Amino acid sequence: MQKLFSKLLGLLSIVALLLVSACSSSDNSTDKSSGDKVTIEYWHTYSDQEEKVLKEKIKPLFEKEHPNIKLKLTRMPYEGLKQQVIAGVSGNAAPDLMRMDIIWVPEFAKMGALKDVSSLKSFDEVKSSVFEGPLATNQFDGKYYGVPVNTNTKVAIYDKKVLEKAGVTEVPKTMEELAAAAKKAKDAGAKGGITIGGANAWGVLPYFWSLGGKLTNEDYTKIDGYVNSPESVKALEQLIQWKKDGILSPTILGGEPGAWDGIKKHEYMMLDDGPWFYSVLMNEEKKKEDPLEYTVRGLIPEGPGGSRSVIGGEDLVIFANSKHPEEAWTFAKWMLTEEPQKLMADTGLIPTNKNAAQDPEFLKVPFVKEYVDQLNTALPRTPIPQWSEFEQVFNLNIEKAIRGKMSAKQALDDTAKQGEAILKK
Amino acid sequence: MYTTKTSLFWKSVVYAVLIVGVAVFILPFIYMILTTFVDNAYTLPRPSEVFSVTPNLDNYETVWDKNNFFRYFLNSLLIAGVSMIGSLFLGAMTAYAFARFQFPFKEFLFRVFLFTMMIPVVLAIVPQFTVINSLGLVNTYAGLWLLYIGGGVVGSTFFLRGFFETIPKELEDSIRMDGGGNWRIFWNIYLPLSKPALGTMAIFSFSGTWDEYFVALTIIKDEAMRTLPIALMMFQGQHASNWAWIFAASIIALLPVVLVYIIFQKQFVKSGISEGSMKG
Amino acid sequence: MTVPKLETQQLKKQHTPNPGRKEKSALTKGLKQWGEVFPFIIIGLVGAAVFVIYPLIKGIIMSFQDYNIMPGADSPFVGLENYKQAFHDEQFRYAVRNTLLNTVVTVPINWILGLVFAVLINMQFIKYKITFRTLYYLPIITSWIVVAFLFRYLFADGENGLINYLLYNKLGIIDEPISWLQNQWTAMVVIWAFHIWKTVGWTIVIYLAALQGIPKELYEAASIDGANGLKLFKNVTIPLLGPVTIFVLINLVIGAFNIFPQVYFITNGGPIGQTEVLQSMIYKEAFNNFKFGYSSALGVMMGLTIFLITWTQQKKIGRQRFF
Repeated sequence: MQKLFSKLLGLLSIVALLLVSACSSSDNSTDKSSGDKVTIEYWHTYSDQEEKVLKEKIKPLFEKEHPNIKLKLTRMPYEGLKQQVIAGVSGNAAPDLMRMDIIWVPEFAKMGALKDVSSLKSFDEVKSSVFEGPLATNQFDGKYYGVPVNTNTKVAIYDKKVLEKAGVTEVPKTMEELAAAAKKAKDAGAKGGITIGGANAWGVLPYFWSLGGKLTNEDYTKIDGYVNSPESVKALEQLIQWKKDGILSPTILGGEPGAWDGIKKHEYMMLDDGPWFYSVLMNEEKKKEDPLEYTVRGLIPEGPGGSRSVIGGEDLVIFANSKHPEEAWTFAKWMLTEEPQKLMADTGLIPTNKNAAQDPEFLKVPFVKEYVDQLNTALPRTPIPQWSEFEQVFNLNIEKAIRGKMSAKQALDDTAKQGEAILKK
Repeated sequence: MYTTKTSLFWKSVVYAVLIVGVAVFILPFIYMILTTFVDNAYTLPRPSEVFSVTPNLDNYETVWDKNNFFRYFLNSLLIAGVSMIGSLFLGAMTAYAFARFQFPFKEFLFRVFLFTMMIPVVLAIVPQFTVINSLGLVNTYAGLWLLYIGGGVVGSTFFLRGFFETIPKELEDSIRMDGGGNWRIFWNIYLPLSKPALGTMAIFSFSGTWDEYFVALTIIKDEAMRTLPIALMMFQGQHASNWAWIFAASIIALLPVVLVYIIFQKQFVKSGISEGSMKG
Repeated sequence: MTVPKLETQQLKKQHTPNPGRKEKSALTKGLKQWGEVFPFIIIGLVGAAVFVIYPLIKGIIMSFQDYNIMPGADSPFVGLENYKQAFHDEQFRYAVRNTLLNTVVTVPINWILGLVFAVLINMQFIKYKITFRTLYYLPIITSWIVVAFLFRYLFADGENGLINYLLYNKLGIIDEPISWLQNQWTAMVVIWAFHIWKTVGWTIVIYLAALQGIPKELYEAASIDGANGLKLFKNVTIPLLGPVTIFVLINLVIGAFNIFPQVYFITNGGPIGQTEVLQSMIYKEAFNNFKFGYSSALGVMMGLTIFLITWTQQKKIGRQRFF
């Protein structure tokens, strides 16, 4: 027994030592608020490279221009983030503002967690300086609950080697050309043609929309008659046909090799992905090949619905319980001005500020041109508070249809039925 | 001794079974370690690539320097260490109360304890956070310890009670004859005789808090005060994750727990009730 | 604090109530008993009340509400609405089926494997006991999320996953690589295997701790009477492990019902929702669909089920005396 306790005591003293060291160093990080300097807390999920710009350029610049505001940056892990936001909101411990995925904004707005920014000072100025598409993702009930801080979309990325082997000389412009090219690639021995990331909205929508499918009416109030319209059914049937023809990569049903893996190893002909495909893979330390060299980009091929990609990105939101909403708004507005937008754009984040996006310096980043072009026709996922719930229903039915458990018509009819019920809540 | 009869044949069978078991448990880890030697694992490497790697520590070095990993490592050591000791004492005391005393509503209280272990409370963190907040302990380790120790008492009581029940009551007699009371019985009989259980409990408690992610992230607001699992999660990116880094970080994170495990299990391999009762 | 020796015997007899007692003396006796136990139990009770029982009560109340998490917001009571809703939910049927299946499959396997390995490791002639224990315990102390991803990677389809690679390319046991996670039942097998792999070390460690506590004299006495290994195990080991077995079984059942990362990170309920379990559903209803009331109701129903399933075992706790 004595031994056990002496061990415990030993452990305890080690722990105590650590405690002392931990306390002494954490003191440095707690802010010594001097006078009427206000600290605002900002949650974000920037990547390593992006965080570096944020810490080393954005923060000093902002604090220099606004000496009365101190910016406290907190990087949050992406896993379980929504839970953290919910715990923060309901425990009255949310930060002042946060960079939030665009599809979360309407649902948190409906919950009452976010501050309406459309009534704040000089909102109209901000509104006119940014792209309309990304701004629209902040709307709920006719008001705006955030401002877009960066945007993105997916474009078609082709593997040059596979195209060459298949004898395809030009990047497909239409969906028919895409299918034909994929067929040739498969015949030439590729493991996959068209690589869709998964049977879910983010993965399938560019094809569903481009092939003529729709989710809702124009003002997002009606699902029945749109998601199951004859055009939508035809679009889904086309996808199912591609699956049957074997020109879809196994990734759509979670198969291997993974999308990036298949492209890197020159096994898949084409995938659709966002700018991070390049920013991540180009920054690999010991890469064997440069993705800029072995891939070529094009817009999502056109179908009856046009060339429709899906918009992603993040919005800056202010929490309803923020203790310093004015200062938080000052920061949010500032973040959308040209200079910080340009600074962040260096990492491959596409600015929402129109001037920053047209900046020749930004367009020199080797891969961004196609993304900026694609944004002209890209669509947002339905900006309704019930999106997450509707998405589950949509994903499940799409997967059933692609697996052949249901016909396209049945799957979309069920989506419409359940979707209407969700929409009414 | 009863075991001397065991023939060589049966001995080798037992060893064979144990070694097959070890293989099943360890193989995924070996594969995981091999993966940490791969460069640029944003896409998961294939078996042929994994089996042809040359061992190197590049990814371990990268991970060690990233996301405040070392800082968080120390923080976690502190948090898990103190919670472990606290849980051990509180759990042992409460279990002693249930095992050794008779009092009204005892079994009812115990059933309530059991019941709480069975219901998953979705938003438990919110009332817990409110309590910590009203005590002014948000963003302190004290708040986190309180929550870990207080929240863990139900499980540890349930665990230790079973072991305490097996301790023969007659052993108390010698203490009573010396005029000792309940506290001395607790210290001189129950704690020493339950070393195997307490050692096991210590390991559970340590590894439980060492791995805990969500509560720590909610209570602790300063980046500098965060714990290791948070650093681990940071390696998982929004669009792409470097699996070699994640696995390397997990391997490093495993080491302290293995160490604690070895320290405490040495304790309980040596001792047992039979020897303990001899010494009385 | 000196207690006369007699009381030990009195305590043992307490299970047989004495009808002749007057109420008043029962009350004073109860108070006296509480007085004795108070210093040992009070901190634990307060801790449990504040951090466990209070949130639990809030959770139960929430299950009768259309709950809004905003502080100060209105959360109207809806009666049993949340409970009724579950029975019209297709996902709920899958979740119940899979959770029960997981319990039926993994609890016995987990229990037997844990017991057998613990007994084997504990055999006297076994060397490197510590090494064996440590290796068996490794899966427990690794982060859930990390090993879940590890398993998804091991069971990847085609020839890219280690398992297919071994079975197909190396051993040639199977004719073609299996798409483990893309089919309902193979995905289920992966989930079960993962659950057992990750948790069986816990059972082993508990039983090892318990086996350490069995007096060697008992074995010696029995083997002098001519009992062989198997008989010793049946007649000495198994009964002496009784109280611990109850603890282990109850915890295994709780663990099997609470299966969550195993599903959430490996299949996320797929293919087409067929591997969904109660916990992953509870999580999604709360944090994806913001239906906190419904989610709590599912949790309460699940808890009650476990409570009833383990009811008969619970009764035995605290009643057993073996020495």
